Amino acid sequence: MRYAMAIDLDRCTGCHACSVACKVENNLPDGIFWNRILTAGGKSMDTPSGTFPNLSMQFLPVNCQHCENPACVKACPVKATYKREEDGIVIQDYDKCIGCRYCMVACPYASVRQFNWKKPEYAIDVAMGDAAITPHQYNTVEKCTFCTHRLAQGLKPACIDTCPNRARIFGDLDDPNSEVSRAIQGRSYFHLLEEKGTKPSIFYLT
Amino acid sequence: MAVVTNTKKTSATNLWMIIFAVFAVLGAVCWGLQLTKGLQMTNLGTDNMWGLYIVGFMIFTGIAAGSLLFAAVPYLFKLEEFKPYTRIASYLGAVASVVAASLFIIVDIGNPERVWLFITSGNWSSPMFWDFIMLASYMVISIMFTRKLILLNEGKIEEKSVKGLALVAFAAGILVTVTSFVFSFQVARPLWNTPAQPLSFLIAALAAALAVMMILSHILNKSGYIKMPIGLLAKMGKLTAALLCIELIIVITEILIGLYPGSGEDYAAFIWLVTGKGAVSFWLEMVALVTAIVLLAKQGTSPKAGLLLGGAIIALIAIYLIKSNLLQAQLFNPLITLPGTPVYGGTTEPYVPSLLEMGLSIGILSLGALLLNLGFGKLNLGTTADTRKL
Ligand code: SF4
Ligand code: SF4
Repeated sequence: MRYAMAIDLDRCTGCHACSVACKVENNLPDGIFWNRILTAGGKSMDTPSGTFPNLSMQFLPVNCQHCENPACVKACPVKATYKREEDGIVIQDYDKCIGCRYCMVACPYASVRQFNWKKPEYAIDVAMGDAAITPHQYNTVEKCTFCTHRLAQGLKPACIDTCPNRARIFGDLDDPNSEVSRAIQGRSYFHLLEEKGTKPSIFYLT
Repeated sequence: MAVVTNTKKTSATNLWMIIFAVFAVLGAVCWGLQLTKGLQMTNLGTDNMWGLYIVGFMIFTGIAAGSLLFAAVPYLFKLEEFKPYTRIASYLGAVASVVAASLFIIVDIGNPERVWLFITSGNWSSPMFWDFIMLASYMVISIMFTRKLILLNEGKIEEKSVKGLALVAFAAGILVTVTSFVFSFQVARPLWNTPAQPLSFLIAALAAALAVMMILSHILNKSGYIKMPIGLLAKMGKLTAALLCIELIIVITEILIGLYPGSGEDYAAFIWLVTGKGAVSFWLEMVALVTAIVLLAKQGTSPKAGLLLGGAIIALIAIYLIKSNLLQAQLFNPLITLPGTPVYGGTTEPYVPSLLEMGLSIGILSLGALLLNLGFGKLNLGTTADTRKL
């Protein structure tokens, strides 16, 4: 079994709903986003490139790519980040992380790993999201978990269920009948920075 | 008369020791602040997640390795004139540098109380784990080597019994190239991902160790702990200048190779360095490198100790800048630069260490200086009868 995600770039409208869903579901501390929507356009977020009326804009949602050959796992000196053999998810063990940030250096996908530079603070006083998530820790690195807590309950990751345009598809890549396998079939797709050899599990459909 | 001079020297040394102790305590206070308030107290961020501390670690691992080489080479290649100073070099490698390098790593990590995981859960595929093993072995090798060299000096053992350990120390010194693997093995960082890096690390290690040895010799000459002839200092200066020339060539060729295509990821990073946000630091690096080379290489017929000292200090600044600039140019120019959801610790380029980072680093340096002095006072490392009276 190998979990994978397909993101249909023709369907993504850059609405950031998946990003917010992830933030709420995982009770992410202020300033931390495991799932960020990048803009391939102008100089800042959500701006187009070109000059009016010839403008263009494309969105690129990026979270941990759950690489088959993860650079972060090789780099971590204390095995605080590792690939789960049974489903290929790259796990981050907060209790083991010494906070050296070498995994952030090693990961080619800038900013999918984020560090708690201060004690986690939250926008509201009550915890949000699922009670089953692992509490966030000061001085440790964290990142997208593919919502392992939801998978354990037979659910799909929060971003998948939230996307209003059904741009995100999830499932087992080893099963030819899974939603993700069917979504990829016959479509052209790319992986981010494929030339780096990390073999990401995120397929960008174009 | 001699007694009076000695007393003066002793009180000057004591004053320095008090100053170092105060700075060490200040460093500890900074660390306490960082531990309680978090690494937000530094100017590190999501892009530049590594900074001054990591550069400190690189340089002191380099000095440790270079000192081991300095201590071993005279026995392997029969350089008689350097032999009297190998004890100091070996001790510098053993205590001060390894301790400083380890401390720089300890203060850099968020959860220092978890360092024992290096032992119980070490990851053999991580270059950082290799570094941990290297530092530990440097400590063991140089303590053993220092001990042997002291025994040799006291006439308790024969020189041939030092050879084996000298060979081990030499090999360990050369293996400083492993430190570069932390950087050069990362596919995510094309600027570091080149075979020039291991070479550059080895050369910088030697140059840094020589520069520190020159500074130390200068101080110890003045205090009468050793009597190193100026000719020997000048030779070390020339060797350092030659090594810095190689560094200069590596830095410039790397930049030219990156800039020539006119676009691409290397181009973006190097243009940032040469004309962009990193420019001030880069041009300072160039000036420091050239000044150090000129001061150390051009000594004429009567070398001046003051100029050599100045050259050695500027050489260390140049090495710091080489490492720091290469680090920053890459970290601020990651492979994916598209704008997106802003996160905490977003980029403020260029990175200038915060006061707390500087205070902590000065604290570590001071602790290193205290340890050095302790060694000079307690161990028989010098070359004159005066040695224990520093
Ligand atoms: S995307 Fe980065 S953090 Fe995620 S598995 Fe790959 S290398 Fe690791
Ligand atoms: S920050 Fe944590 S997970 Fe990342 S490499 Fe260091 S110990 Fe491993």
